[in-house]
Amino acid sequence: MISGLADGWAYRLLTVFKKEMRDHLRDRRSLLLALIYPLLGPLLVAGGLYMAGKTLQSDHASRPVTMPMAGLEYAPELAQHLATLNILPAPAPATAEAREAAVRDGRLPLILVVPESAQGHAEFTVDILTNLGQVDNLRATARLTDAIQSYNDTIAAGRAKAAGLPENYAHPVVMRKVNVARDANIAVFFYNMMPPLVIFMIFMGGVHLAIDTTVGERERGSLEPLLLAPVERGGLLLGKALAALVFTAITAGVNLTAFKLFLELAVAGSEALVAPPGWLAFAGIFIVSIPLMAIAVALQMMVAVITRSMKEAQIYLGLLPLVPALPGMVLVFRPIHATDTSVLVPVFGQMTLFNQLVADRLPSVAHVGISALVTVMAAAVIFAVAAKWFRREKMFVLG
Amino acid sequence: MIEIEHVSKSFGAVQALSGLSLTARDGEITGLIGPNGAGKTTAFRVVYGLLLADHGCARVDGVDVATHRMKAQRHLGVLPDVRGLYPRLSAREHLRYFGQLHGSGGQALEADIDDLIERLGMQDFADRPAKGFSRGQELKVALGRALVHRPKNLILDEPTNGLDVMSSRAVRELIFEMKGKGHCILLSSHIMSEVSLLCDKLVICAEGRVVAEGTPAQMRAETGAEDLEEVFVRILKRAGMLHAAHERPAAPARPIPGSEAP
Repeated sequence: MISGLADGWAYRLLTVFKKEMRDHLRDRRSLLLALIYPLLGPLLVAGGLYMAGKTLQSDHASRPVTMPMAGLEYAPELAQHLATLNILPAPAPATAEAREAAVRDGRLPLILVVPESAQGHAEFTVDILTNLGQVDNLRATARLTDAIQSYNDTIAAGRAKAAGLPENYAHPVVMRKVNVARDANIAVFFYNMMPPLVIFMIFMGGVHLAIDTTVGERERGSLEPLLLAPVERGGLLLGKALAALVFTAITAGVNLTAFKLFLELAVAGSEALVAPPGWLAFAGIFIVSIPLMAIAVALQMMVAVITRSMKEAQIYLGLLPLVPALPGMVLVFRPIHATDTSVLVPVFGQMTLFNQLVADRLPSVAHVGISALVTVMAAAVIFAVAAKWFRREKMFVLG
Repeated sequence: MIEIEHVSKSFGAVQALSGLSLTARDGEITGLIGPNGAGKTTAFRVVYGLLLADHGCARVDGVDVATHRMKAQRHLGVLPDVRGLYPRLSAREHLRYFGQLHGSGGQALEADIDDLIERLGMQDFADRPAKGFSRGQELKVALGRALVHRPKNLILDEPTNGLDVMSSRAVRELIFEMKGKGHCILLSSHIMSEVSLLCDKLVICAEGRVVAEGTPAQMRAETGAEDLEEVFVRILKRAGMLHAAHERPAAPARPIPGSEAP
């Protein structure tokens, strides 16, 4: 039985696969790429989402907020109006230079300055010192200007009434802003950042193994002894590719799990942010990723066997993940769900399926199946090119 | 038996082999010697199926390497010039990996591995990762890797290079033992005293072709030189293949480490 099995192509392929797995499970660099790197993207996105959530809560239109103000005692009615809108004064620097410097340097978001000349007058000019170069200040500035505008409206309406004019005499057109967007949408924006980052990690997970087992073997001098064994060259490369595929799958699994857990943590304390997609969506992304892993490994193998040194391979394979990840970044801003056409394009089809899953909408089985078939076929063609290259004398003669 | 027939091979403008022919018979140790760049490694690579000859053919036990590479490789054990180990695998794991690649497995393979570890004196480092092995330890693992599938034919490139006295002696004894069991052994070495001691037949090549062959005794008689190193120099000079830079007064014969009389 053993001898019958031992003569087989599958036994030799399994032997190569098992050796590469054993070898690289002992390699710190492979483990770092598979287990630690995939945590970084989720940490970054979840951290950003957490901060965004905090900003939304603290800057909400009806929440009490303190703003640095100077000279507010000269305009008590304005102060009272701001207080009714939950805008409370905080101390501001005494001199004009100090105030400008504080806002410019970002130590204070904005400062409302009421001049002494306002004392006892109904009409006066106030200064709002703000630094719109900092995005955080946009909401605070808008809230303060809206509050002062509403103060003006109230005064104008009172004066019109006293003069026997219609209340909206000074403002014939009344604007009402109806914001149909929920603050939760900012969370969806962060969730849309997941697909390109997941794709990036899929193209990174097996990269060290792909390099080490091909061009690395050649540099180390272990490729020649290996090629002396009676093994089909294509089978040899396939055994190595399967090991790279397993490492890629581990990377993707860690990456997706980290995304789910970290994003849950990021929105845990927030009522405004919508929850991340469920575990089913994450499982779906993993399943949809499998053909993507195949094409990633096939490309890595091709580049690794074509290049002449580990350094050269590292340069090219370091850039490779950007090729699919950059179009993915565009989809962060304009997510496209899977269509009959999109699934026919390898890699892009998976991106659109990812977008659909992130939106918690299950894609059709036909779309998943077609995109998988197309991508696996492309991976097979690329791998065939790599295997052909691997059979060339130059693979080791030039090494 | 290993046969090379009229093999030519070029790499671009460089003609590495020019109709090289030789036969290494079973039960004999055949030495392929020549200056650097003579084509020895290229000839070996053609025999073990890494390079395809432009013309001519190589056979292992009658199997054409070009058309039946894997079948020929099953009959062949090779100690290449570059030892190339996996730093994170132990010596035992190296032998197991290559044994399995040759189709062995189970208890029989484990028994063969234990036997090789003992015969090559690898007990002290058999289960240590190869990273940090000395050159001698690396060579022993590479030799074990070449022998683990019990090949009938052996190609040994510098088989004692880097070994200490006792290890060199052990390897030579192993080579003699393999010869005694009827194996075909084709080796190359730059240590002429070792070649003299080991080889039944010598093939001297230069510039990709054979310039002389015969037993060491025949070559000594033919050239009138006693020392094999001098024989080598005279043959190359006669063939017009000794460059001026290499012409130096003959050095006294170097004794084989460990072979001196006590």
